[in-house]
Amino acid sequence: MSKLMSKNIENDKEYIIQLQGLTKQYGNKTVVNNINLNIEKGQFVTFLGPSGCGKTTTLRMIAGFEIPTQGKVLFDGMDIAKFPPHKRPVNTVFQKYALFPHLNVFNNIAFGLKLKKIEVGYVKKNGENAVKQIKLKNFLVDPTTGEPDFSIANDNYYSYIDKGYVPLRKVKKKINKTTKKGRVEKEINGYRFYIDKKVRRALKIVGLSDYETRDVDSLSGGQQQRVAIARAIVNEPKVLLLDEPLGALDLKMRQEMQIELKEMHKKLGITFIYVTHDQEEALTMSDTVVVMKDGEILQEGSPIDIYNEPQTAYVADFIGESNILDGVMLEDYKVNIVGAEFKCVDAGFGENTAVDVVIRPEDIEIKSTEKGILTGVIKSSMFRGVHYEMVCECNGYEFTIHSTVEAPIGKEVGLYVAPKNIQIMKKEHVDNTALVTFTSNTSFDLYGGEYQFTPTTLFENAEYDEEQDVLKIAGEEITLKGKEATVRFAFTDIDMTDDEYDAPLAGNVDSMIYKGKNYIVDIKTDDNHHIYADTQYLWDKGDRVGIKVDNFKFIAFKEGE
Amino acid sequence: MFKKSLAIPYALFMLLFVLLPLVLILVFAFIDVNDGTFDLLANFKELAKEKALGKVIGNSLIAGLSTSALCILIGYPIAYYLTKREFNKKGVMIGLFLAPMWVNFLLRMMATKAVFNVIGIKMGMGAVIFGLTYEFLPFMIMPLYNTLLKIDKCYIEGASDLGATPIRAFWKITVPLSMPGIVSGLTMVMIPSITTFAVTEIMSNGKMMLLGDFIYSLKSDSLNMAAAISFVLLIFMGISMFISNKYSSDNSSKGGGLW
Repeated sequence: MSKLMSKNIENDKEYIIQLQGLTKQYGNKTVVNNINLNIEKGQFVTFLGPSGCGKTTTLRMIAGFEIPTQGKVLFDGMDIAKFPPHKRPVNTVFQKYALFPHLNVFNNIAFGLKLKKIEVGYVKKNGENAVKQIKLKNFLVDPTTGEPDFSIANDNYYSYIDKGYVPLRKVKKKINKTTKKGRVEKEINGYRFYIDKKVRRALKIVGLSDYETRDVDSLSGGQQQRVAIARAIVNEPKVLLLDEPLGALDLKMRQEMQIELKEMHKKLGITFIYVTHDQEEALTMSDTVVVMKDGEILQEGSPIDIYNEPQTAYVADFIGESNILDGVMLEDYKVNIVGAEFKCVDAGFGENTAVDVVIRPEDIEIKSTEKGILTGVIKSSMFRGVHYEMVCECNGYEFTIHSTVEAPIGKEVGLYVAPKNIQIMKKEHVDNTALVTFTSNTSFDLYGGEYQFTPTTLFENAEYDEEQDVLKIAGEEITLKGKEATVRFAFTDIDMTDDEYDAPLAGNVDSMIYKGKNYIVDIKTDDNHHIYADTQYLWDKGDRVGIKVDNFKFIAFKEGE
Repeated sequence: MFKKSLAIPYALFMLLFVLLPLVLILVFAFIDVNDGTFDLLANFKELAKEKALGKVIGNSLIAGLSTSALCILIGYPIAYYLTKREFNKKGVMIGLFLAPMWVNFLLRMMATKAVFNVIGIKMGMGAVIFGLTYEFLPFMIMPLYNTLLKIDKCYIEGASDLGATPIRAFWKITVPLSMPGIVSGLTMVMIPSITTFAVTEIMSNGKMMLLGDFIYSLKSDSLNMAAAISFVLLIFMGISMFISNKYSSDNSSKGGGLW
């Protein structure tokens, strides 16, 4: 064991769970793609992402309900990726609670305790040392303290019986029980007493004392949730997994439970792994937030880091409100946003590089026109309780501003952003690049859609005889059919159509980001390829759209041809 | 008013074919078979005199209970595996298992008898139980299948998460949650198998009688006796329905209802 223990301690941090190259595929569909993550002992870690991002699948692989296609799940340094759920030292709080309907609150919580087994050492008849599993009811009670002694687990079990230790089930305990006849004293065995004590303590932690005999169906959603948590924590797992546990509760209840869960985490001191799609929940409760999308980890860090320094436009958009804009890095510490030059604290992007810029609405300060870096006109203003939400149009781009001071609609104002509040990010995609297969001299196949093109515009020095179907490039006759090539097309070259049959290729809108004036839409084709389009119109996630492309640039024939 | 009048045909139907026969059974059961006077106990006393009846009831109990037990033992695993998607693609397998219901049961019994004769299996109680199980197995599978199908997979996951092995999860979760299906299946198998006739006659070469055969064997003039036996069976049926309803209403929101 000690050899294994040393493996999971790196940089003075003790990792309780380590995911290494974790991958899950259903048929051809990759749900979780090569995830690497270290989870520190005692932390509150949240997997955050939209539905279908693989966060629940990842959690289920830790719990044991899914066996990874590839990769390891290390628990205290030991790979448990192929262990069935009942052999894993983790417990889960399910989204639908999964309380057993035929058992009352007490028996639901006691379910895991009754199944609990403890490994003990003993000496075989031939003198060899061996270990075996014994049930909790056979566990030994120290006659002097009257409490089960868990420290003897690695010693010889039977030697303790000789010393006067007694199995739990043989100990007699007296309890006061409230029955129909009032409070009566009853004698029960130590095993029942132990379970009873544990269950009551768990119920106390979740704030449901005296609910033992209630039918689970008679409880409200919030109470069922608490029972589900009690049922998990009563087993004292080292890691508690929570799969969107507050999803079914209403807002008020949810906020209350968030605080309680956070307190429970502090009190119990065990590691919580939490799955949610609610960014506010993630930011409020976690020590570490892991943002996921399409089965991959986009960013991992403390809530403050994730909020203030998103690494991609997607993360910035997903976490809180933000202004995401196209910018050009003029030189180190200088960025051009919508035509104005801002100072910033970022360097190393190179000169005149296109970047994504994120500015949080509360970081924009409204000043007089002379004092601002950028001038614009207030288009709308809405009171949102603590602040006003205003939209200011500058050079055709919209900025959302949160401020406690209202600027009247129609007023010309200056906008100022402190350098440290401008978050610069490398652009993930500048254009679309794809490998295509030519189907004739005037058409090619792009991700399963057949696109027509004019050879003379695609290739330099090309001559094309339409009648004879003869293509010459630089004087040399060439047959394109069957050849593969790389082409490039800009975001703005794409026309999205409502009718998918109107275009050679169709896909579903996967996500979109507002850039102050236009939207950058991520379209996922049926073969899981991504195409990015620039559009003026607002589409909805999941919309089925046709993809027309006006203009292609030829890059190269596939190497080796 | 008009809406209410639409119910009249159904009310009439119920009156004629449900309520009236029931009342008639009651009346006949309490009218003395010998002198035609109203006597609460006369027919039952007369029944008690029938020497054969004790044996018939004994046989019925043995046949009914063993058929039910066999149907559960065979039907439960079948129903359980049928709920697994990979085993029952597009519901083909469940269709196959229920297909015997569509073949005339007399035909099936006679064919079974012919096969038994060829193999050389003796006709008697064993053969009767075989025939009854063959006949009523689909009636056990169907409610069990429906109940098992409705049990949410999350309960099994919950149990295994709490440390239950698959076998333990089955006994602690699946079986209790499928109780409504078991009870319902028993109602569908027990009483009908006791009161069925022809199966016994074919499968025992007419040597054995169950309650159904007994009623059949009573001459038409002793309708009162038949009514008296029916009345007893009715009470049995009532009790079993009561138990089954109690279970199904207790668990309707849990594992899934009766049908």
